[in-house]
Amino acid sequence: MKVLNYLIAAITGLIVLLGYFFPGTGISLARSPLLDWAVTLSGVAGLVAILNLVFHVHWKRIQDKHPRRLYSGALIVTFLLTVVAGVFLDPGSAGFQKLVTRVQVPVESTLMAVLAITLVFASLKLLQRQRNWMGFLFFLSVIIFLVLNSGVLAFSTEIPILTNLLSAFHRVPMAGARGMLLGIALGSLATGIRVLIGSEKPYNG
Amino acid sequence: MSFNTEVIWVVISFILTLVVFSFLLGDIPFFRFVSAVLIGMTAGYMTIVIIYQVLIARLAVPLLQGSRVALIPLLLSGMLLMKLSPRLSRLGNPSMALLVGVGAAVAVGGAVLGTLFGQVKGALVFVDLARAQKGPTSLLLLVEGIFFLLGTLATLFYFHFSARKVKGKEPQAHWSIRLLSSVGRVFIAITLGAVFAGVITAGLTALVERADFLLGTLLFWVR
Repeated sequence: MKVLNYLIAAITGLIVLLGYFFPGTGISLARSPLLDWAVTLSGVAGLVAILNLVFHVHWKRIQDKHPRRLYSGALIVTFLLTVVAGVFLDPGSAGFQKLVTRVQVPVESTLMAVLAITLVFASLKLLQRQRNWMGFLFFLSVIIFLVLNSGVLAFSTEIPILTNLLSAFHRVPMAGARGMLLGIALGSLATGIRVLIGSEKPYNG
Repeated sequence: MSFNTEVIWVVISFILTLVVFSFLLGDIPFFRFVSAVLIGMTAGYMTIVIIYQVLIARLAVPLLQGSRVALIPLLLSGMLLMKLSPRLSRLGNPSMALLVGVGAAVAVGGAVLGTLFGQVKGALVFVDLARAQKGPTSLLLLVEGIFFLLGTLATLFYFHFSARKVKGKEPQAHWSIRLLSSVGRVFIAITLGAVFAGVITAGLTALVERADFLLGTLLFWVR
């Protein structure tokens, strides 16, 4: 069974990968349905994850009389109400969208606002604990970019030297971000190849 | 009728906003309740989207139209659903293998064609610009280009963790790699600082918007 799983992963992966480099060939034609099936399966995998969360994790909490079972009950009831509303109203309808966004938007934007406050306190605590030059540099960078983002230096457009200087400041993080992106890409490449050659088999769980 | 519905939604938004802000006082039960409601609603919304966009659109419709090829993803989806049962979980592994294999290939293709080529080209764009210009501007662009290239390479070297064994000493990387890695740390600190500032700015914008909503609603009710 494990060999079959490996063969499925390696052959489908190889067909999709070769399809990238040989467009317009037979391999490229075989790639399209494989990608379609993978999209379908990722949707079903999402459904499996949701059902596991709701009916295994939270339902089990209620059965086991967990101290936080009330919240699990609220989660399950909201989940079922949303699903029933979606089936009856149609997910694309304005009514269903309104029902979901009228709860999601205030909660999520307030969570974002709370995040801002907690991040400011966390960064101040970080500076107190990490009294080294890296911590100082990080904090200095945060202050500079907060000032740049705030727009208080909007008058700089009238002073060409200041405009150039601020523009250069804005571009400095690009170098670091590019390096990090290249690092992530190299990491993805290595992990992808390890999966394709069978060194990593995360599907045999 | 429409006005009343709108008022009810404003009251709900007002209460939800206050409850989430109560997190600043500590992890109180009301906040946990709203978190559970949000997770339940998001999970329900995602389920509905998956049912309509994936199960109906990609599986049921092609089957009803007589496509025999659609039986393969149907079978694989059925096998994947076995993952819900601990006893039958292994039957879902072939579907997971296809998902992981295709995902790995897409990740490799995306990393090579999307990120590696694009970012390397982006890192060298200043050299092209400097070649197109003449005089001091060209030199300035070249210096800027070299500075950014150094920053990119130094950041990349920070993630280089291999080290050489030295007799009687702790294994350590070559001095040139350690030097580049130190420069890379500076660029990483600046970049993460900029990202952090961006997150704080976005959060502050949300804070101002929520405070405006709370005050506006309160003033409306008082009047």
